[in-house]
Amino acid sequence: MNIKFGLKKVTIVLAAALLSMNMSAKAGVVYDYIKANNELMIATDANWAPFSYIDDDGVMQGFDVEVGREIAKRMGVEARFITPDWDIITAGNWNMRWDVSVGSMTPTASRSEVLNFPATYYYTPASFAVHTDSPVTTLAGLNGKTICTTAASTWEMYLQGDLDMLGAPAFTYKVTPGTITSLKDGSMCADDTRLGAGVRNDGFIDSVPMIEGLIDAGYPVRFLGDPAFHEPLSLATDLGNNDPELDAELARIIAEMQKDYTLSLLSIQNFKSKDYTIAY
Amino acid sequence: MFVDTVIEDKALHKPAFLIGLFITVLAIFFALNFTNTLFGEFLRPVIGDPKESGFFGRFAVSFVLAILFVLNLFAISFFKLKIQIAIVWLELFLLFLAFAYSFDLKMSFIQSRIPLMITRGLFTTIYISAISIVIATAIAIIGAIAKLSNNGFAYAISSFYTSLFRGLPLLLQLFLIYKGLPQLGFMVDAVPAAITALSLCYGAYMTEIFRAGIQSIPKGQWEASRALGFKFGLMMRKIILPQAVPIIVPPTGNQFIAMLKDSSLASVLGVWELMYLAKTLGARDFRHMEMLLTAAMIYWALTIVLEVIQARIEEKYKQKS
Repeated sequence: MNIKFGLKKVTIVLAAALLSMNMSAKAGVVYDYIKANNELMIATDANWAPFSYIDDDGVMQGFDVEVGREIAKRMGVEARFITPDWDIITAGNWNMRWDVSVGSMTPTASRSEVLNFPATYYYTPASFAVHTDSPVTTLAGLNGKTICTTAASTWEMYLQGDLDMLGAPAFTYKVTPGTITSLKDGSMCADDTRLGAGVRNDGFIDSVPMIEGLIDAGYPVRFLGDPAFHEPLSLATDLGNNDPELDAELARIIAEMQKDYTLSLLSIQNFKSKDYTIAY
Repeated sequence: MFVDTVIEDKALHKPAFLIGLFITVLAIFFALNFTNTLFGEFLRPVIGDPKESGFFGRFAVSFVLAILFVLNLFAISFFKLKIQIAIVWLELFLLFLAFAYSFDLKMSFIQSRIPLMITRGLFTTIYISAISIVIATAIAIIGAIAKLSNNGFAYAISSFYTSLFRGLPLLLQLFLIYKGLPQLGFMVDAVPAAITALSLCYGAYMTEIFRAGIQSIPKGQWEASRALGFKFGLMMRKIILPQAVPIIVPPTGNQFIAMLKDSSLASVLGVWELMYLAKTLGARDFRHMEMLLTAAMIYWALTIVLEVIQARIEEKYKQKS
């Protein structure tokens, strides 16, 4: 049960709106609210195993979720997860519906117009995958073909040739798709790919751990070529309710979790003994 | 249907119709080609390997299926109406089950997740729909009265309301409320936003249903009650509404059923209702069809309950009149 009319928040949003008219940094508004409410509201996708998903008991699980819980623990508050659509999270203007996104978001120039990226917590490669029967053997073979991806994702930006990542290693556009099919999430793409090579799409692009999960689940897909690019994945907070104090606290906690190997341990537990928390 | 005393011979008992039906069905089955399905496997002793049976196999499979189809109809035609209806329902349901079975579902997977689907998903779906139905009905009563009044403001406001909210897609209304209101300083969470959008949208449709129901009462009824000296309120309660309600009930029941299903739109805001859980619970193991079909059966069962209630109410008014 989470009926919440958020009346208490109205005053805070109004106060935040008034303050933003002065264009001054409103230090601590969100952070104070978290502390006063004793609850960190974390937005994350619930349809993206092994990063975040709902288990049989209806409890959120996965790497992002465990990182989120740990952040809340170190903040000394309870964690509560909210699961809006990915494009609603990346669009910003959260109006304090949730405080932070722990959802493996890549910092990009366009996203930074509406969001802050207080701390990068791990790095994953993104890769193309095709049906096992696909005749395509090289990345160049996908040129002009139909490629599926998640709407409002960095992979979609990559396919569009418009990926403006911040603080990421250099990369090149190795594929120029003919048609881009943008669906709600990567598992929908994989379901289409499963139907056969070239039926609904000729391949898709997603994060490497996700594709490994697909292969484990018996999906007839295989990796195509080397990873297309590597992306840093970060926490995100709302620029509309800019709160430097919260950002500083999040950055401090992530640095601490890196130092005591908590992040590495979580990565090893969730990603088949691989540590994705080290930059390359 | 109205009771007719003219009884014609059953079409199914005329040879010409039977042959025509057989040829049509044969052509359709042949065009769809069932050779590579379960039916082809059944005929393996006759046609050999279904994949290599070619034209003969395809024709043989369609021929057998068409004969079964026509014989089935012919046999059913000898039963009484009620038994006919029951048999056809059962057969269609079995076909649906066969459709579900063809996905190679893992039953243990469904069993382990059904408690969550019901305690969390079904519960949320029902309470969102129930609250919305109550609010929408209240809006519709007020809206219908306003639309029928001579007051210019009341009419203008209610007609603007029905025009706007019938004119926008429900999903768009949902986003306008969820994303727009906070920018004005009113924080609405996902569930209240969904309830507001559903109530406003269905309130607009139901306003029109209520208005049309009231207006459909013949002018003579209004004039007669006026001539008998009835005041407006009394006339409405004792003369007009008792006649209008039986007209209003069927389309309103339809609206309730539609609203129950449209509550699934709340899933885009991340509300853990039936549709959302159906989409996400299968995600981890990439078994989507299991959860989607489970949700489909739950929605269907729910709407059947509503249909039965609606039929009962209609029956009650039929007896009265």
